[in-house]
Amino acid sequence: MAVVGKAVKRKEDPRLITGEARYLEDIKLPGMTHIAILRSPHAHANIVSINSERAAAVPGVIGVFTGQDFMDVNPLPCPWPAGGVDNNLNTPRALEVEKVTHVGAGVAVVVAEDRATAQDAVELVDVEWEVLPAVTDAEEATFDGAPQLHENAPNNVCMEWDCGDQSGTDAALGSSDVVVKQRLRNQRLIPTPMETRGCIAQHEAVNGEYTIWMTSQAPHVHRLLFTAFIFGVPENKVRVISPQIGGGFGAKIFMYPEYVLTTALSKKVGRPVKWVETRSENYIATTHGRDHVTDVEVGANRDGTITGLKVRTYANLGGTLSTVAPGIPTTLYGRMLSGAYKLPNIYCHVTGVYTNTGMVDAYRGAGRPEATYVVERAVDLVASELGMDPVEVRRKNFVPADSFPYEPSGNLLNGLSYDSGNYDKALDMALEMTGYEDFRAEQAAARAEGRYLGIGLSTYIEICGIAPSAWMFGEGWGAALWESANVRMHITGDVVVTSGSQSHGQGHETSIAQLVADELGVSMDQVHVQHSDTLGTPFGYGTYGSRSTAVGGVAVWRSLQRIKEKARAIAAHEFEANVDDVEYVVNDEGVGVVQVKGSPDQSKVVGEFMGIATSAAGGWDLPGDMEPFLDETAYYDPPDCTYPFGTHICIVEVDAETGNVGIKRYIAVDDVGKVINPMIVDGQVHGGIAQGVAQALWEGAQYDENGQLVSGSMMDYAIPRADLLPSFELGRTETPSPNNPLGVKGAGETGTIAATPAVVNAVVDALSHLNVRHIDMPLTPSRVWETIQSRSNGGNS
Amino acid sequence: MKLEGTYLFGETREQVWSTLMDPDAISSAIPGVEEFVPLEGEEYAWRAIAKVKMAAVSGRFPGQVQMSEIQPPTSYRLTVSGEGQGSIISGSVVMRLEEKDGGGTVLHWDAEANISGKLARIGQRLIKAAANMMSKRFFGNLARQIRAPA
Repeated sequence: MAVVGKAVKRKEDPRLITGEARYLEDIKLPGMTHIAILRSPHAHANIVSINSERAAAVPGVIGVFTGQDFMDVNPLPCPWPAGGVDNNLNTPRALEVEKVTHVGAGVAVVVAEDRATAQDAVELVDVEWEVLPAVTDAEEATFDGAPQLHENAPNNVCMEWDCGDQSGTDAALGSSDVVVKQRLRNQRLIPTPMETRGCIAQHEAVNGEYTIWMTSQAPHVHRLLFTAFIFGVPENKVRVISPQIGGGFGAKIFMYPEYVLTTALSKKVGRPVKWVETRSENYIATTHGRDHVTDVEVGANRDGTITGLKVRTYANLGGTLSTVAPGIPTTLYGRMLSGAYKLPNIYCHVTGVYTNTGMVDAYRGAGRPEATYVVERAVDLVASELGMDPVEVRRKNFVPADSFPYEPSGNLLNGLSYDSGNYDKALDMALEMTGYEDFRAEQAAARAEGRYLGIGLSTYIEICGIAPSAWMFGEGWGAALWESANVRMHITGDVVVTSGSQSHGQGHETSIAQLVADELGVSMDQVHVQHSDTLGTPFGYGTYGSRSTAVGGVAVWRSLQRIKEKARAIAAHEFEANVDDVEYVVNDEGVGVVQVKGSPDQSKVVGEFMGIATSAAGGWDLPGDMEPFLDETAYYDPPDCTYPFGTHICIVEVDAETGNVGIKRYIAVDDVGKVINPMIVDGQVHGGIAQGVAQALWEGAQYDENGQLVSGSMMDYAIPRADLLPSFELGRTETPSPNNPLGVKGAGETGTIAATPAVVNAVVDALSHLNVRHIDMPLTPSRVWETIQSRSNGGNS
Repeated sequence: MKLEGTYLFGETREQVWSTLMDPDAISSAIPGVEEFVPLEGEEYAWRAIAKVKMAAVSGRFPGQVQMSEIQPPTSYRLTVSGEGQGSIISGSVVMRLEEKDGGGTVLHWDAEANISGKLARIGQRLIKAAANMMSKRFFGNLARQIRAPA
């Protein structure tokens, strides 16, 4: 009868597929006003003057405001500067006042009775600009003579950060049999959720309270930033509600200028204010992801043992810092560069750089896809240099299954350790599913016919359940990262769980209900999971970093244990038995009962009307020292993160004539620890692979030399389509995490982390007979074709 | 964005030149021009409004047109700037006339255009094609006016 581990259909889906779900755009308040934001058309410019007379005169316009009108509102905070180093912080304001550093920065706003009027009137705001030269490449921005964006950031450097062992790595590279060097570009991506961002704010002047509906992955964090950092008001004055969210991928974690602007305006105009981002705005005003330029050096001995890995990365952070921008290319990138391998020497140096581009922050995987790309490409480069099979190089260097917990060398993880793993097992399963040896024969035969088949592996690991508060504090994060949950069993026996984490597609309402149903012995229908409203839920840090189950789920589990203890105590009183003699068991029918050990006739159902739930909630007959109600709150701050792993294998055919890459097969074996709902995990893996493949082959934000985003619409920016992808072949191993009582690790990002290098490795493998060792992403037909042409003409990489 | 091309006129260089220097001819040759008024005190500069439709952006762009580097009867630079619909267009084209052996005139043009804002983001791939089409229309319009002087 247990439901954990079963592919239970999602409780949230009926409202989603019938159209009953309410998104931000569906919300309309009496007296609501609408805004349009004037955004900079220039990548780098001083604001000389703004004249809003013409716009203000348009009928239906309530007011036109500029940055000067919001000088009493603090600039947005950056609560995660890179840890342990100086950061030259520059964050946006609600509207920029003196200068803009990227196309799309807001400089004025029109408030009007309706959206169309606001959008028409904003065209009539006249801005006099002093246009400045722009720089968009992170490395070039650090060169002498490059345009300077911020006074406090010489050479546009936000921070220099490093990890690992520099001298040890240099020495190891110096004494290795071979050293392979490669420059790798991890191109900028635009998250492109189906629903763009939005915000509705209402201010009640009488009590000074704000209610803010917003597209938020982390409502409590948003409230924290609004109250403590931006407006300087206490928590009870701000209620943040996140309605149904149409995809976030990380981009909806952050505090954005528009949220602050909308909220501040609601007080200024004394009416509710609504802002909904247009698709066009989404490309320039919502955060982007990735954008690294990396030089990697990897040393190895002839037998395939990797001796050292040295990584030098320029991370493009955009014109100003988004909320956790510096933390992503440092902690979540550098510290993951040991991958699945026992590398004796690792060193990573990251320069975080301002450029005249949109803000860059966490995007699905956040740092780990970039790290995995470096490591998995490096391993293939070693294999290619030594003429070894990439499978053998991987096996040779894997962290052995008996070495866990494993602490990467050089204090790379700053005190944390990989929790558990069996990397060979996942690799074996994936190779078996693929028919690896048969493929190599097929590949050789195809080559003889002039057909280019290739296979690529990615034996990734990642870090999930992002937490230990103390560790994250040491990494520069300015808050904590525990989670909390409240569980209440009502008088009817139904259970309401409120959680500080938030669901925007992950299926919390189902997987948490599965946990509760099994633990308490109630039906799935009796469990109601509520989230996304700061008024009705305990504090939580939100949903990202695949942490909802590994951290938030454990907080629920802890509450459930307390509920069970109290149910036993109440039952002991009813049975006139000693509490130690009363047990809470879930019987063969899946019904939770309390009973006296060894005398099953003294037993009572817990989760039903007139069951223990009713005894507790009614409280008519309780001992004097016992409080009524089965209502428990628990907090959970784990001792370490969790470390999922697996093997992804991609088989491609490269069209020698056109350079087009076709994916023939995609095999993914993931180990995400204990699985609560395999269907939900499969869904996460599917979507993740699609996004990871898309980075390898199609996606890429493009700026021109003036800092104009030229891939700013769905006509110009590629996103993956189902018809471009094969049916994925999924497998799974299950290695529980010892770091939490559920044994779970996290499954939200494995696909994006693993897929990208698997695809690139496959394409390079397909062209290896032409001496191709690397091609930068995206591997578009023209880029691949040009590579084939240059090699066919006798060139060498 | 750089664009270049040539256009062949059947007329003599002097005929083409005089049309190129005629503000009325220029204003009616630029596609979509609705207003073309001399700037006060300027011989070779005009205030203009053009209606433009490119990719998903359409609307009126108020701006300026200016002639400079005038070297009769061979070449000059035409500079255009406009702003509207959340976009800024600026650019200039150098037109150079060359007499063709056996009659007629070859016009070589070299243009540089900068597009900012919404227009830059939407349908960038279409802009070059659209700009080429507009230049064809511009010279085609000019050619018609040379053949049928007002």
